[in-house]
Amino acid sequence: MNHQNNIGVFMCKCDRRIESTVDLAALERLVLEDTAVAYTEIIPFACTAPGLARLKETVREKGINRIVVAGCEARILLGKIEKEMIKEGFFEGQVDMVNLRDHVATVHTLSPEEMAQKGAKLIRAAVAGLDTLELTPQEKISFNGPVMILGGGIATYAAAQELLRREIDCIIAVQTDEYEDEIRMLHEHYPGERHYYERLRKIMEEVSDSPFVRRITVGELSGLKGRTGQYTVTFSNEDNDGPPRTYDVGAIIACLDGQMLNQGSNFGHDGKTVICHTETEEMIWVHGVPSGKIVFWINDYESGTPEFAYLSARCSWSMARYMAEKRRDVDITMFYNQQMAVPLSAEERRVSRQLKIRWLPFDGALRPTVQAGFLTYCDPQDHLEYELPWDKLVLSPKRSLGVEVTRVARVLGLECEEGKFLEVKQEKVRPEQVGREPMYLAGSARYPCDLHEALRQGRRAATQTAEIVEKDKRGELFAPRMVCVVDPSLCIGCGLCKEICHCGGITPVEGLGGGIPRTVDPMVCTGGGTCAAACPYHALILQNNTSLQREARVAALAKQLSESEVMGFGCNWGGLAAADNAGVKGLKYDPRLYLLRVGCIGQLDPAVMARAFLEGANGLILIGCPPEDCHHSFGLDHTWSRVTMIKKLLGFSGFDRRRIALAHVDLNHPEQYIASVESFIQQINALGPIEKTESNREKLAGIYATVNNARVRWVVGATLRRPWEETYPGDQRNALAFDKDFQGILKEELTKSRLKNILSADKRYFELKELMDTLKGEKDTMIHSLQEMVNEGMISRVHRNGVAHYIMRA
Amino acid sequence: MLKFKINDQEVEALPEWTVLEAAREKGIHIPTLCYHEAVGPSGACRLCVVEVVEGNWSKVVISCMYPVKEGITVFTDSARVKNVRRWILEMLLAECPASKEIQTLAAEYGIKNSRFSIKNPEEQCMLCGLCVRVCREVVGVSAITTVGRGVHKVIGTPFRKPSEACVACGSCVTVCPTGAMQTRLDAVRGPVDAHKS
Repeated sequence: MNHQNNIGVFMCKCDRRIESTVDLAALERLVLEDTAVAYTEIIPFACTAPGLARLKETVREKGINRIVVAGCEARILLGKIEKEMIKEGFFEGQVDMVNLRDHVATVHTLSPEEMAQKGAKLIRAAVAGLDTLELTPQEKISFNGPVMILGGGIATYAAAQELLRREIDCIIAVQTDEYEDEIRMLHEHYPGERHYYERLRKIMEEVSDSPFVRRITVGELSGLKGRTGQYTVTFSNEDNDGPPRTYDVGAIIACLDGQMLNQGSNFGHDGKTVICHTETEEMIWVHGVPSGKIVFWINDYESGTPEFAYLSARCSWSMARYMAEKRRDVDITMFYNQQMAVPLSAEERRVSRQLKIRWLPFDGALRPTVQAGFLTYCDPQDHLEYELPWDKLVLSPKRSLGVEVTRVARVLGLECEEGKFLEVKQEKVRPEQVGREPMYLAGSARYPCDLHEALRQGRRAATQTAEIVEKDKRGELFAPRMVCVVDPSLCIGCGLCKEICHCGGITPVEGLGGGIPRTVDPMVCTGGGTCAAACPYHALILQNNTSLQREARVAALAKQLSESEVMGFGCNWGGLAAADNAGVKGLKYDPRLYLLRVGCIGQLDPAVMARAFLEGANGLILIGCPPEDCHHSFGLDHTWSRVTMIKKLLGFSGFDRRRIALAHVDLNHPEQYIASVESFIQQINALGPIEKTESNREKLAGIYATVNNARVRWVVGATLRRPWEETYPGDQRNALAFDKDFQGILKEELTKSRLKNILSADKRYFELKELMDTLKGEKDTMIHSLQEMVNEGMISRVHRNGVAHYIMRA
Repeated sequence: MLKFKINDQEVEALPEWTVLEAAREKGIHIPTLCYHEAVGPSGACRLCVVEVVEGNWSKVVISCMYPVKEGITVFTDSARVKNVRRWILEMLLAECPASKEIQTLAAEYGIKNSRFSIKNPEEQCMLCGLCVRVCREVVGVSAITTVGRGVHKVIGTPFRKPSEACVACGSCVTVCPTGAMQTRLDAVRGPVDAHKS
């Protein structure tokens, strides 16, 4: 017990909903037996205005610095209570909630005293967790430097305009000094936007006249490091001989434009008579509008990208309109698959009729064929095949990311897959992250779009950046409390966490390669914590919500459980939510489950699971989201790997592998949750309890030591995978081969851990036979393990009368 | 502290409290549906009505939004209040006849059938908007809203398409007083892998 902690427990009556079934006085008595609890009170409501006033008053009077509210759903009300307590100088993490109502009062048919007993066990577990909490100071995030807009996309100007209007300094990294040149080349990325050029020119003029914008012409982007507020961006020198140019900036907006490629020869593309959009624009620039029969074939359906047909049709329409307005003797046909809706407004249809632009649909069942001077097609009305004459045929472009953009995106740390756009899908687990991307991205590389949309995205990215920068200016920008931090003294720079982290919050301090400690960008980290649970050296910690806290909770709970009771963890998004909803629905189920709250099931370090058994639990069920629905991307899958590891270790030690189980529950199906829970409880009760013998305790201690072993953690961390993944590292060919190797490592390390435990518990000489009797292991494994431990210098070996004796080194 | 009476019981309250909060602090039960402690009151369901007597006047008000006042007397269960609640429950029973929660509550007040016409016998939602408020105020995302007006009003997402903003936290299901959100959730959060990164 930490004597600086003053833990208060408040139990709600909740308008009869708790009071009517739980003996609150008995509960209070039981909770007070815990020496860590400094104060208890039964209150009508903790969450209403009078209740919160009472809470604050008590906290002030009694000097309480951590509180447990035993009432209802933490998912719904913890935020409100926390927010009020922050006014009293609390921090997030200092308040915990136990759902007395929905996990105890409304879901079981027990006597009020029994209800109180169950509630007390859960409250004591929460108290133990809070008692172990080590508060970290609040970290202020500040922007050291201007906003940099890089990537060279056209959205750069819209973003810069938005920032300058908000009087925020920015640097724009562009390819050329002359913005006229940019407009001249714009059709390569955004053809058919001629009507927009005047407006764009105005934006560019405003940007170039502004004192807030600094314009730099740079070479290739070669590096990006740092974190929100303090990035260092490196560009190669444009002359390619000088040293690279670096800039220290506070925030980054990436404006990237996708690339347009020609359709292949199977659409008859030859660059002269059969051309694509960008070539058409180029032709208009250079030669003016041609005469004769011009056919725009919107062939996106035929080239396999029907999703871009709208965009191509709008672009074709814009060019066709320009041509028809410039020249009277041009005959334009818009040739399109009948599946496509004509994307014109009523006014545009009128203009189209007036300009005699013909919209000709064809039956997509027969692919039109390009022939010399004619296109063959099938009419959707009469199903007759016709021929459409043409002098110039304009095809839709193929849209892709482009080599340069792909390279830049990689440097920026954006995930980009072959043949896909950079559309960022981010984990949305904190409200402030909804609609925000770690890297603010704008332009058609994100997803094909027209110029208007690209500029809009630029403005939007700038607005979001500006909101954060302005928050910093007001001094209100703080890092979230529950994010991962790296202890640099423990980190060896193995990089495992970065591979596991899906939110992209972890970066090396500097450069790539081994031996460099990692750091976490707190503004990007989602607090999922599966990375922290994987760290081989416990160097990565989910601060204010640590594994140690979870270990303390399971330890406190496991000690109190009777033989038939089991404990479980439910994640906020799946198991716990389903349990809450079971309570709301008033469904009744087996009371022998004690459910603990966890943000994501992936936060559970295998050490937490092993600790539960070490402290006396007979069964542990982890209830997460349905498969493939983990809110923290892969937390659930990682847990699967961890659970199977614990199963193996239990099996090796002679315990039943079924004592730990992973369950998948949808929050909207509380009956699924109940089915999982009851089935697990029955299973554990059929197995009977783990006998509390000295030998069993020694084995469980061995398991606990094994999952804390760096080698085991490394192997399990490096092979964390989703159950159906097929590629395996090294020479393991498949799941079975991998599993056999993994099992071998586990056995070896388990033996070593147990030997170490035995030898360090009793510092005397042990004979091999004696050790074998205790461990009941195979002779070869044991000799091998002992040999290794001797080599590592952990133990010493001496021979007496020709028999080897082992002892722990001092 | 202001002093007033609830059902002849002396009560003290701070000026910013509502009658409902003051009553609950004293353990006096007032039925509610659209009220939830996690969000601000909206006074949609009207079930929390109480009779407030002030001088020679008496009026029926909703307790969840009525601020406490020095010297008033509040009756939470008077004949007049009960009558109003019966009317409200009868209307709710016609609005959402399929809701078990509403049926149970109505039965407590002795109501089994409604004299009002039932539009949709399968309807569970009473359109109190608690889910919308929780989504906005607690979760902070505003994924759901009321869609349409008047008799066409329903709880849903913009354009009736699964919402991009939804984080699939299920808070709306947990707070829903009639159990209606359970059947609507899938239309809001969309197919399972929409939330995967």
